[in-house]
Amino acid sequence: MSAVDGAGGRVRRRRAKLPRWLAPVLAFLAILGPGLISANAGNDAGGIITYASAGAQFGYRMLFLMVLITVALVVVQEMCARLGAYTGEGLGALIREQFPLRSGAAAMLLLFIANAGLTVSEFAGIGASMEIFGVSRYIAVPVALAGIWAVTVLGNYSQAERVFVVMGLVFLTYPIAAFLGHPGAGAVVSNLLWPHFLHSKAFLLLAVALIGTTITPYMQFYLTSAVVDKGVTPKTYKGERIDTINGAILSDVVSIFIIIATAAAIGGTGPLSNIGQAAAALRPVAGQAASQLFAIGLLGAALLAATVVPLSTAYAIAETAGVERSLSRKLREAPVFYGIYTVQLVVGAAVALLPGNAVNLVINAQVLNGFITPVLLTYILILANRRSVLGNAANGPIFRAVATLCVIVVGLLSAVVLVQTVAGWL
Amino acid sequence: MGFNRVTWTPGHERKPIGASNFRQLARLRRQREVRAREAAAARALKGSLMSLAALLGSEVKDPDGHSVGRLSDVVVHWTTRGAYPAVRAIIVKTGKLEVVIGARWLEVGSPSAVRLRSDRAYASTAERHRDDVLLARDVLDRQVVDAGGVQIVRPADLYLAAVGDRIELVAIEVGIGALARRLGPKRLRSRVRLGRAIDWGSVSAFAPPRAKEDMHHGRRSEIAGEAGTGLELDREAAEVKRLRPSEIQAALEDAKAKRIGELP
Repeated sequence: MSAVDGAGGRVRRRRAKLPRWLAPVLAFLAILGPGLISANAGNDAGGIITYASAGAQFGYRMLFLMVLITVALVVVQEMCARLGAYTGEGLGALIREQFPLRSGAAAMLLLFIANAGLTVSEFAGIGASMEIFGVSRYIAVPVALAGIWAVTVLGNYSQAERVFVVMGLVFLTYPIAAFLGHPGAGAVVSNLLWPHFLHSKAFLLLAVALIGTTITPYMQFYLTSAVVDKGVTPKTYKGERIDTINGAILSDVVSIFIIIATAAAIGGTGPLSNIGQAAAALRPVAGQAASQLFAIGLLGAALLAATVVPLSTAYAIAETAGVERSLSRKLREAPVFYGIYTVQLVVGAAVALLPGNAVNLVINAQVLNGFITPVLLTYILILANRRSVLGNAANGPIFRAVATLCVIVVGLLSAVVLVQTVAGWL
Repeated sequence: MGFNRVTWTPGHERKPIGASNFRQLARLRRQREVRAREAAAARALKGSLMSLAALLGSEVKDPDGHSVGRLSDVVVHWTTRGAYPAVRAIIVKTGKLEVVIGARWLEVGSPSAVRLRSDRAYASTAERHRDDVLLARDVLDRQVVDAGGVQIVRPADLYLAAVGDRIELVAIEVGIGALARRLGPKRLRSRVRLGRAIDWGSVSAFAPPRAKEDMHHGRRSEIAGEAGTGLELDREAAEVKRLRPSEIQAALEDAKAKRIGELP
């Protein structure tokens, strides 16, 4: 099981896999909290584009929502880490054991669809960032697809992963850019503490996209497996719990800075029409090189997530079936695992090549995730409530109330947007 | 037109039938015989193999045909004696209550329905005995690992069969067909078709969840049903072979013969 470096241990794996020369540079960052690096990689291409879009379209108005989402994320991630530590099983396995087979199959189908959407948006991110460098996406995406497949199946994944992570570190410049961009401090604080929501369809849609990209189902499956792979037991869970909560909060702090930096630079100019526009937010830091810097970061984040998301889908489904799942197995030894992985990669790349606006494609993929998130959260909530699963570590009455409230609010918001969207088609 | 006349076309010389052809023919004939034998065994088994997945949730009726409740689990007694554990009781859900009905009150009959022998069956509240294994809760859908710890699959179904007057757990089904059967409509569920079945005799113990791997060894029925508990086989994955219908039939005959031998 330890062999699933790629699929199993994403949420925490980023901080351990840095090249030596970078260690001193990052040493001081590590003091701030071990979750910081992980927070950075948690912001994938889909996330960055969605946060940037929120900042560009609605300025600071989404900030209060991000605070609420952070609370929900902490609650959800803590439940997942607890499930992993106390049962020694991933969410896929728990769902197979604890729910009727049909509900389990439905959950896995939803996870597959949600992750397929994410994979599409990662490949769209790869295409868009290469277009900033003047390479057509019709060349960049197929090359990336072939490269990712070859590296993970035939090559050494953990080395490639380091390169991706380092490239993604570019986004740590967002907090600096946010301060240098001279945002209105009063406006930021007031938007963080008090809702300034708009009653419009576009606002609601983007709100669901923000939820979908922040509380991504794949992260929950990933975290649970990561905790299991690390060998966390009920005895060592305390430290893991702090780590998980830190990671979730820091991840959202970076997200909030992306929104602030983009809002300060191009806030209120309407929705992003192309991904390159989002680079304007980095101009206070990088000046003329902002586009290139943004493109490098986006490429790294997208490559990382385009590898990890399909791996995590394949891992979860193979786990539900109970068959072998590991990158250390040969193709013939784990056909289900590699089969699902390959299918998801190919489908993701193919859809990302369809003609159309990449920003819209990415946001729609996050909205799809936003619709699926509350359904899968319900499974997690039921599992974490069950004393037959967690014994004395099951949710207590207060935690249960808070978690249920989170799921209901997320579910209601998604339902409203879903009804509006369907009504719009009719 | 003379379709059965031997024709000669240039360049297509007919070779005389050599020894290798005879061997090939003999092999084909043997394969056909094996297939026919397996098909016959499968037909013979059709009535006697019961699918646990099909039984679960079905109505339990008393001799007059009145419904008592729905079957929620089957309890077997798993001791070291004998490869196939016998069904000790069933758990029936009546309203909100779960009651245990002893196996001696059960009628062994149709493979898709459970009928009680008497309308005054002795029922008790659920209580776990040592060596008791609840098939739906502890075995179905649990991770199966081989002797080396390699994760093989999760069983989608379990097969029970009547041996004499008892019902015994015979095999676990790990084929994809059984999974499809369970996902499909309920009325088709009782049509058992043997896919990739593993002999229950090769299951050796319950494997503790990874969080508690330092547990003591033994059959460990006491940890069955805990989240994360799996099943451990006594051999490596490569040695696990698929049970054929004729093998199951032979094993059942064997068990029956032994049972008769046990009688005074």
